[in-house]
Formats: sequence, structure tokens, C-alpha cells
Amino acid sequence: MEQQQIHPDEQLAADVNAWLDANWDDARRCERGMDKLDTRSWLTKLLESGYAVPTWSPEWFGLGLGSKQGRIIDKILKARHVIGRSQDRYNLGAVTVYRLGSPELKQELLREMLTGSFSCLLYSEPNAGSDLAGVRTKAEWQAGPDGGEYVITGQKVWTSNATEATYGMLLARTDWDVPKHSGISFFIFPMKQPGVEIRPINQITGESEFNEIFISEARVPARYIVGELNGGWKVLQTALAYERLIMGEGATERQGKEKGAEPPLIALARKHGKLQDPVLRQKIAQAVAYRQLNSLNMQRAKAEILANGSSSLMSLGKLAMSRIQHGEARVASEILGAASLLDGQEFPDSADMNFDSAKAYMNSIGGGSDQIQRNIISERVLGLPREFEVDRNMPFRDVKSG
Amino acid sequence: MSAISTEEQQAMCDSFARLLAEKSGEAQVRAAMETSLGYDPALWAAMAEMGLLGIIIAPEYGGIGGGAVLLECLLEEAGKHLLCSPFISTAVIAAKLISSSNSDDIKQEVLSAICAGDQVIAVAATGDKGQWTRDDIDLQAEKKGDGWVLDGSASYVLHAEGAHQFLMLAQTADGVRVLAAESGSSGLAIDSMQANDPTLRLSQVRCSAVKARLLPGVDETAIDGALNLARIAQAAEHAGGVKRIFDITIEYLQTRHQFGRQIGSYQSLKHMAADMLVEVETATSAARHAARAWDAGADDAQTLISLAAFAGADAYRDVTAQAIQMHGGIAYTWEHPAHLFWRRARTGLWLFGSSDQHRETYLASLENA
Repeated sequence: MEQQQIHPDEQLAADVNAWLDANWDDARRCERGMDKLDTRSWLTKLLESGYAVPTWSPEWFGLGLGSKQGRIIDKILKARHVIGRSQDRYNLGAVTVYRLGSPELKQELLREMLTGSFSCLLYSEPNAGSDLAGVRTKAEWQAGPDGGEYVITGQKVWTSNATEATYGMLLARTDWDVPKHSGISFFIFPMKQPGVEIRPINQITGESEFNEIFISEARVPARYIVGELNGGWKVLQTALAYERLIMGEGATERQGKEKGAEPPLIALARKHGKLQDPVLRQKIAQAVAYRQLNSLNMQRAKAEILANGSSSLMSLGKLAMSRIQHGEARVASEILGAASLLDGQEFPDSADMNFDSAKAYMNSIGGGSDQIQRNIISERVLGLPREFEVDRNMPFRDVKSG
Repeated sequence: MSAISTEEQQAMCDSFARLLAEKSGEAQVRAAMETSLGYDPALWAAMAEMGLLGIIIAPEYGGIGGGAVLLECLLEEAGKHLLCSPFISTAVIAAKLISSSNSDDIKQEVLSAICAGDQVIAVAATGDKGQWTRDDIDLQAEKKGDGWVLDGSASYVLHAEGAHQFLMLAQTADGVRVLAAESGSSGLAIDSMQANDPTLRLSQVRCSAVKARLLPGVDETAIDGALNLARIAQAAEHAGGVKRIFDITIEYLQTRHQFGRQIGSYQSLKHMAADMLVEVETATSAARHAARAWDAGADDAQTLISLAAFAGADAYRDVTAQAIQMHGGIAYTWEHPAHLFWRRARTGLWLFGSSDQHRETYLASLENA
């Protein structure tokens, strides 16, 4: 007699659901037996189950599962609105410490980072944007117990979630006498301390998602360096790769939701009596097409990633998105005509269009400008020669800035 | 939909690519485009031998019963090699129109001849305006006794010279229908129209009381379907062609030196190249998705076909134009292949409808009624 075997993936899903049935209150969206969510208590419980970071090793809160099993768990947790899912992908600070930190650092920080402590990014500076290796924030060593500490002074910019963050992933210069890529270290920097001042940036959209961080003689233990001293550039590349991976996944997921629905530009044109204008129809069609074409590229990318593990198509999405967003906003303005002059609650279509026109720069400048993205595509995908860098082999002390 | 496996399809594409590498290199394309026929009959025969002319024809008529996905894959290869042939008119439009007929006799007779490479069929599908729409058909067909009689003219007919038979789209009392006329029929005149693209053969066909037979069971929906399949085929050719001229250009950027450095190290050219890569990949994605939607009979098939038609044509136009600019003087010579791709791209902008027409069809298909 043949025994009916349950597929291991189905068994996993059943186990996760059973554990949630016992521990998670779906209706209240909090721990079972509680009135409301106590984030740290719940995240601790989830951490101990292994379902917070299932693809990590059992030594560090994980279950040692593959990424496919990780996604099965993620799907269940997402469907049941569970807080704290897939931190092995989305918790950038914890992922960086797990992948690149020393065992001692993991021991000291991981549990806290996985149970409700936010991290923010302290990479860009006013004079180190596209040229990120040009960071000038100073980290100076001072002797003391446990390997001593570093005194940090400098200015960081374009940091989101700075006020909520417990830690910042900080790029700072530890050696000024070597070329720029070789004198940078990567720190897990405690944000809640004197000498850290956070000022919101007022954006051209009217929003304030980002902050400037002024750091003046703040401190970070020497043991909070991730990777080697002066090896921060390498650590950054890994951290950035994870960040782009998450952004890329987000982009394809957002695309999926739009299927079947009428594109908003068509509805806008109909509402304003312009849908029969043949010139506008051409422009609307082209704008809608660019978005759909990018979604077709991303579908191909996904198929290639499943088949080969990677796809060069992924690097094209961000560049294509700039044309999509700027283009859609421009066509919306042409549909609205002179009403584009207006703004505010009384003129919501105008306000939305004007907001989108400004917001489009978020994609075409943020996370590497279109021009940097074109360098990356032409060099890494097409194999064209690297941009010449005057300062590549020069001691950083002698590099011009401003 | 398709009667053959994915592995067999890939194997067919690979052998077609090898055949084209051997028989449709640049020198052979240039030789073929100088002949009056405009293609190499030996290569056409070799394609027939490989079963390529019966891709979309059912096995009972000698074909292999493949779908649009296989067609797309093969035509990407054709596009890469600037293949000169009456393939789209004979093996796509004519094969599809005849397959749509409910006359088994006609199917037995003509489809097997197409598969064997014995019949090149020219399709008269548009009038002088060159719009490839139902309105833009200037031929009239009238029933006379047992048969039909054709009058009027058609323009932009592909590969009319050397064709064994003509399929004519004509206005009838029941709407647009398809009629078949033998070449050399009395009252049938062919005036060649000189094409800008030397790999293309265009003619005007004039009919004065030409005797013809009706393709029974082929209505306007079937005609639209055959032209849509041609649009997928052409989008695939564009995808292949745009990839090839792009690769040629990138190679040139890496080998050509000026001011002591590879010209591909200049940011002005690198940025153009990055933008062009977006177009190249987009043309491929669009053509492949359109083919898949056709085979699946998907609800959004018309949307995706129109999208592939204008996105592919526009991408090919833009990338070939930039390719000439990036090569500089060398690509301004007749001997350099860039202009052949550029001309082919400019052809694709108009055959089977313009990009503006496709954009309009695309938008209309997305509107919630």
C-alpha cells in the first residue's frame, strides 16, 4: 500500500498556519490573548519561532530554509497581516550585520535589530551624491576599553526614517592618505545620542520624507564596524545590492496590480472632454504604452531570473521608469490645458498632476540619477569602458571637492 | 495551440539561424537585392525543405501546425540577417487566409504547394492610401455566373513579380472578401513601384475584368486576423533586426579609437547606448508577448499586437537612426550595412499600418466602453 505523502512545502505552510493560529489574533492584528499590538513582545515571539528570518541559519534565529520556502512563509504572513515578515529580506540593517558582521557584532545587535529597532541609511552627503566614494564625514579613533571608539563628525543627507531609527548604517572616512575607495569604513551607528541633529528636508513636492543629519563628535564603538576597517566600500556594495533587489521586487509587484484596469490618463481625458482629441490620443497611447512595455520587460526579467538566477533587464527598469513618470505627468498636463496653472484642494486633478510632475524626479535623481544609471548600464551590461576618474588613485586628502 | 514541443521549436530556430548565417550573410543579401526577383530562390527552396514555409499550416496540409510563438522566434532570426524573401506574404498572410477558408479542396491544393515551396503568393491588401484598413481597398469583386470578376487596383503589393498566384482583398456586396487570381490572368497588370528599401519588392496591381475565385468562408474577421499575424511577424523581424544593428554598433564603439581612446568610453555615446538598449529589449519583450497572447487567444491579444507593432517599429527606426550617427562617416557609405537596417526599419513604419494607426487601435482597445 502506498502512503499518501504530503509535499514538504505543504507541510511547511500547514506548520506556519498552525503556529499562527496558536499565537496570532488575525482579527485584532496582535498577539493572541492581547488587546492590542505590543510590537517588541510580538516580534520577539516571531523571532523565536524562526519565521521572522526563515532563510537564515538556525544559529542566528533562522530555520536554514531556501528562498522558495522563505517566500511561502512570507505569503502566508502577508495574507494574515502579520507584523515583521521576511526580515531576512526587508530589514536592511539586520541583513547587513547578518551577512557581513563579525559573530560578536551579530551576538550584540541582531536580536535588538530584529525586534523593532529601525535602521536608517547614512550614505549620501552634500558633496558625495553620485560620487558616493567621496564621503567626507570623519571617523577618528580614540583609545578605550573593547577596542576603543570612533568620534564621528560630518553631515549626511537624504535619510528617511531618521527620527524613528535606533541605528544608522554609516559610511565614514577612516583614512585620508589613501585613494578614496580605500579609506572608508562602514559603521552601525547609534542614532539616539548627543551630537546627532536631525532636520527634515522640505521637498519640491511639499512633502518631507527625508532628513539632513548633522553629526558633531558623536560616538560609535570600534567593534560596531561591519567588515574590515577601511573595507567599507566593499560592504556598501553588498548593502546596496540588497537594497536594489528589494526596490526591483517592489517595482514588479506594483506593476502587477495595474493589470486589467483602465489607465488613469484615459479616465482623466474622458473626464475633461479630451478623449476624442486625436493629437492627445496619440500622446496618451504612447504614455500608457511606455508603462505597459516596462511591465513586459519586467515579466521577461522575472522569467529569466527564475531560469538563470539573474537578468540584465532588471537594470533597465529604473531608467525606463523615469521616462514613464515624467511622460505621464506631461501628458496629464496637456489634457488639463490651462487648468495646469491651478493647484490645491479645489482643483484636485491639477494638484495631482503638479505633484506627479515634481515627484517624477524622485525616480530620475534618487537612488542614482538617470545619468549614473546610464553609466552603469553601458559599463556593466554592455561592457563599454569605465568612466575616467581623475581621483581614482590619488590620496583622498588631495582630491578636490565642492 | 502548437503541435510541436518547445524543444523542437528551439531546435528549428537554431537550424534556421545556421541556415541564415550560411546563406543570408551581408554579401548574399546585397546580391539578392540586386536581382529583379529580390530574393534567392535556392534559399527559399532550402527554407521549404526545412519545413519553414508551413509553420502555421496544419499537418494534414503538409505543414507543422506551429503557432505565433514559433513564428516569432524564427522571424527574429530573419530580422537579424535582413532576410530577403516573400515569407510574410506567402507563408504568413496567404497561408493564414487560406487556412481560414472552409474549402478543403483549395486548402489541399494551395497550402501543400506553399509548404513545398512551389507557390509564391502575393497579397493585395491595401489601396493607394496604403493604410491596410477595410476602407482603403480599391478593388471591387462581382459575381459573374459561376465565378467572380475583379476590377480596380491595389498598391504596395509585396513580391508581386515572380508570384504564382495573387490573393486580392476586394470590396463585395458582403463586405471585404478574398479572391484568388492566377498570375498571367487576362486583364491583370503589374507595375513595379520602386522601393526605398532595396531588399523590398513593391508593385501596383491593376485589374480589368480579371477572372478570380472566391476564398469561401473567409470573412472580415479572418482577414483582420491574417493581417494581425503579419504584424506579429513583422514585430519579430524588427526585434531581431534592432538587436543585430545594436550589437554591431556596440562592437564598433569598442574597437574604434579617436583621441587615443575607444569612442565607447565617451559618455555622450555610452548614454545613447544605454537608452538604445531599453528600446532593443522593449521591442523583443513586446513581440514575444504579442505572439504568446495570439497563441493563447487572450482577451488582450489586440492590445498586445498593436503595442508590439508600433513599439517595435518605432524602436527599430530610432535605434537604426542612432546607429548611423554613432558610427559617423563610415555608416554614410553604401558599403556599410547600417543603412540596410535603417531602410528596413523605415519600411516597417508603414507596412501593415502606421505606428500612429497602431497607437490609435491600442488606445481604443484599452478604453472601458
